[in-house]
Amino acid sequence: MTDAASPLLSVRNLTVTFGSGAHSVSAVAGISFEIAEGETLGLVGESGCGKSTTGKALMKIVAPSSGTIELDGVDITRLRGRALRNARTRMQMIFQDPISSLNPRRRVRDIVAEPLDAWKSATGSARETIVRTLLNEVGIDPDVYGARYPREFSGGQCQRISIARSLAMRPKLLICDEVVSALDVSVQAQILNLLEDLKAEYGLTLLFIAHDLAVVKNVSDRVAVMYLGKICEIGPSDVLYEAPAHPYTKFLLGAALEADPDVTVRGEVLQGEPPSPLDPPSGCRFRTRCPFATDLCASDEPALREVAPGHHVACHFPLTTLGSSPSPSPILG
Amino acid sequence: MSTQLLVVDDLHTTFRTAAGLVAAVGGVSFDLATNETVGIVGESGSGKTVLARTIMGLQPRSNVEVRGSVLLDGHQVVGASEREMRERWATDVSMVFQDPMTSLNPVMRIGRQIDETLRVRLGMDKRAARARAIELLAMVGMPSAEHRYRAYPTQLSGGMRQRVVIATALACSPKLLIADEPTTGLDVTIQAQILNLLDDLKEQLHMSVILITHDLGVVATRTSRIIVMYAGRIVEMGATRDVFFRHRMPYTRALLESSPKVSNPSHTRLRVIPGRPPNLSTLTSGCAFAPRCSSASERCHQERPSLEPAEEPGHVFACWHPLAATELHEAPR
Repeated sequence: MTDAASPLLSVRNLTVTFGSGAHSVSAVAGISFEIAEGETLGLVGESGCGKSTTGKALMKIVAPSSGTIELDGVDITRLRGRALRNARTRMQMIFQDPISSLNPRRRVRDIVAEPLDAWKSATGSARETIVRTLLNEVGIDPDVYGARYPREFSGGQCQRISIARSLAMRPKLLICDEVVSALDVSVQAQILNLLEDLKAEYGLTLLFIAHDLAVVKNVSDRVAVMYLGKICEIGPSDVLYEAPAHPYTKFLLGAALEADPDVTVRGEVLQGEPPSPLDPPSGCRFRTRCPFATDLCASDEPALREVAPGHHVACHFPLTTLGSSPSPSPILG
Repeated sequence: MSTQLLVVDDLHTTFRTAAGLVAAVGGVSFDLATNETVGIVGESGSGKTVLARTIMGLQPRSNVEVRGSVLLDGHQVVGASEREMRERWATDVSMVFQDPMTSLNPVMRIGRQIDETLRVRLGMDKRAARARAIELLAMVGMPSAEHRYRAYPTQLSGGMRQRVVIATALACSPKLLIADEPTTGLDVTIQAQILNLLDDLKEQLHMSVILITHDLGVVATRTSRIIVMYAGRIVEMGATRDVFFRHRMPYTRALLESSPKVSNPSHTRLRVIPGRPPNLSTLTSGCAFAPRCSSASERCHQERPSLEPAEEPGHVFACWHPLAATELHEAPR
């Protein structure tokens, strides 16, 4: 899946800084990754790690401070005006709160048609056909529900409507930001399966941002783990979950609660909380909570390096494949 | 049965609303032993929070009808006045709510909020209460407790606020702690810290705990028994392992199978149940799960099944067409 020759999306050294001077916060502090066409990249991390800001920066909802974002070979950070508007049709974003992302004063069928109206790309019966197809696709009966308002729907149904709207312009890249975290488990499963189906049908490429590790693994081909604005590990999902190389990933997975009484997680629990992004630690940003940190971690920032094919980790002392202890000597650049 | 701290018998909580009567809790019976942790799981609207608030005697007095019996340490809660309940809150029963920010007073220093309980309920003087509050903050793992005593809730992170709420709830060493989604808004690593803390404190203070959650992962390893609720009723109850591996009620299975698991390979298709939890104001006389159940028959729509014992002691389920007892879901060990 990771066809490095022609990634659909290629992000290089992306930073997003809010504020200026002493009060500036780099929510995203120089991250690079690629997503191949048809691939799903999961982005996990705790709150405040910059995962949502990354998604918004890709959509240029917030302005990137530096770095490049290439979509289909075109750097969208340089685009302005009409060219940017054009580029945006190829990517869409779905948000966490399905109810507040829908206009409460518009009917469902008009909400779904909004992108078509904005672009005047389909009118009359063509517009209606597209809307009906999309609503059917996401499991909302257009005859029964098309004329209703968002308030008449549950969270899961509103999320379906958001998904239908996001597909109206046939985007290539879909950015899903915590799209199932507000939903009940039975409804969450429906939406996850729906996304998988639509991805296959529409040939979508997904960036799936979520804090729930089980959900992310379920939908992703590869997973990137963020901590305090940086990517600390990225690799194929099964490999990353099986043998995490970054201590933070290991702790994160260790803290994930499995719905299985036989899986006891009691043991190593990460202590403390992430430091303030206003004043990130020198060197490796995880070192203040890392049990394996040394002086090297404080002085030198580890770069992302490949530990196995397609598996990159930013750590001076990556965990061995046994996943229990750090390798004896640092891997030096 | 003399060791039972809590005995809930045929409890009904009905709200009178503009849309008619809503039976949020529709006949719930269970008991809880001293120093036991029981988990209550269910989706939103299943009545788990209303049940908890009824046990606390926290329901509003108007437009709510509570029938049945809640014996807490031998004393009846149903029908008790607020004045009577004031004597029992904090010392007999305490509650930790989901959102720590709304359970704390934003313009009051956190120390004050803890020692308020101590002064009012235990009649401690200011100095003793302050010392005890700092002790409690240290007990719940608040770093530099003495310093944080003077902090306002907004100066703390979500995890730290939840620790303050727990410290307040435990200030008078209650016999029963009801934790309603205590970790839902928190990050996974913080969630693990808080759940471990609750576990430790339960042993230390010899409390009984009711852990309410929608997340089966939270209750899998931390409870001795699990109660599964659907539409205001208990649909299955039993020892934690029995509910996970020998469940008989199709809804329990659906709940377990629709949650993604970290141990599953990525792109595992989730087994979903159609539809969503029912509207409590339009419940029929039949099984509330019948409209979503694949094995539902005519009888299920007409007649509500009562709780029947399964083979294992203490394991009960409500279903006309239970999953076969041979259909065991024992995990390979």
